[in-house]
Amino acid sequence: MLLEMKNIAVNYGKINAIRDISISVPAGKIVTIIGANGAGKTTTLRAMSGMMPIASGEITFEGHRIDHLPAHKIVANGIAHVPEGRRIFPDMTVEENLRTGAFLRKDTDVIENDLEDVFKRFPRLRERRTQLAKTMSGGEQQMLAIGRALMSRPRLLLMDEPSMGLAPVIVEEIAQIVEEINEQGLSVVLVEQNAELALELADYAYVLETGNSALEGPANELHDNEHVRAAYLGI
Amino acid sequence: MLELLAQTGLNAVYAASYISLVAVGLVLIFGVMGVVNFAHGELFMAGAYAIVALYADMHVPFFVAVAIGLVFVGCLGLLMEKALFRPLKDNPLGGLVASIGFLMILQALAVMGFGVRMEHIPPVTQEVIAFSDKVRLPVARLYVIVAALVLLSALWYFLKKTKFGWALRASAQDPEAAALQGISITQTAKIAMFIGAGLAGIAGALTAPLVSVNPHMGHSVIVTAFIVIIVGGVGSLEGAIVASVAYAIVHTFVTTFYDGVLADIVGLCLMLIVLIVKPTGLFGSADRA
Repeated sequence: MLLEMKNIAVNYGKINAIRDISISVPAGKIVTIIGANGAGKTTTLRAMSGMMPIASGEITFEGHRIDHLPAHKIVANGIAHVPEGRRIFPDMTVEENLRTGAFLRKDTDVIENDLEDVFKRFPRLRERRTQLAKTMSGGEQQMLAIGRALMSRPRLLLMDEPSMGLAPVIVEEIAQIVEEINEQGLSVVLVEQNAELALELADYAYVLETGNSALEGPANELHDNEHVRAAYLGI
Repeated sequence: MLELLAQTGLNAVYAASYISLVAVGLVLIFGVMGVVNFAHGELFMAGAYAIVALYADMHVPFFVAVAIGLVFVGCLGLLMEKALFRPLKDNPLGGLVASIGFLMILQALAVMGFGVRMEHIPPVTQEVIAFSDKVRLPVARLYVIVAALVLLSALWYFLKKTKFGWALRASAQDPEAAALQGISITQTAKIAMFIGAGLAGIAGALTAPLVSVNPHMGHSVIVTAFIVIIVGGVGSLEGAIVASVAYAIVHTFVTTFYDGVLADIVGLCLMLIVLIVKPTGLFGSADRA
């Protein structure tokens, strides 16, 4: 397993945000976490990237314990997080945002190549290279957030609600990009409100309900599961 | 008349120089730390007392004393970060109150160490650049102007062109997202505090031979700096510099042609007008105000 999360609990003050969640991410796959608002999807992802301290349990990445590491050290281990709401740096240019993603890297020549790759993948970012990030549309900002994450050369990409607030055409575009990135060997954990989209993209899925994993299984099986269809797919 | 205008213009350039050094430091600290540093005027005062102790009392060469003053006040900034702002990270109001406490401690230390009297500092240089009989720029003032130009250009280069400068701006704009890029927020906070405090310190050190040095000199400096950053737009470095120049021009000209009290009133009115017309300040944006 690339990433293994065992019996994780996270508290916000006295409230248990997640109680007991175990998630395994095999190398090269897309794993999705779906569930209702407040089920603990974002908290689970934030625990993985060190943004949320865990109360109990353990997280290992490539065989090393990474829980209790601060967020900026976890990036160094090869996990990049595209946060909910994109969180690009609004008053920095597109290029500065992307280069900030490579903050920890010392291989200057390879960074230039990777920047070129990001621009090839997202031609619109190249056009807007010197523009301030806050002046871009939601879809472009999402692309920038993904590009910025790729600039750290991660082995695991955590994505929180990449489809949020975007027009259907753009959602389709983002979905394609996630697939492409994964085909090139990057493992992905995808948290999505849009369960239909998530189950279509993912290899394996977890369903969270009120801070616990309620269900898990191969994405296509869950897609046909009656409970999932009724509760999350609205069919 | 023309000569008086030219002379007042030179005075304004000098005032703009030290005001912008102080204000830019204050903005940098506010941006990265999210706290209003009320002790900023006392950091300026500490820089001035470094000159009293090193240059006036111990006869260390002036520019060596200025350099030591810069580093010393920068280290005071690091101390504030570690002792006050880091423990109060999730409590910006607490940070503000703690900075007021630190202000009082610094004032008390200055009184204990040097007394409440005004310090006499021997002039660094008597040289004057005379453009004409009535238009003269003392070289000691020129030092302040040159320092402001050099340091603010260096800061601009650092923030816009270097990796650590981007890291600083990124943590000012979104600390959590910055941490997700591998940037240590504690590290950027330290850098911001050192630079911000150091700029106030060097402004205090360079102006020390030109003003009356006393333990309460920080007060008028911080009031001016607050006016300037509100006019410029809280959080905007460009705004702080532009507003420093505007404020210095208005204040110096009103002082020269009318009097100093009226100049203070006009300065405050300037701030009120900006707050009414553009509440985010000249260069501020709504999301940062």
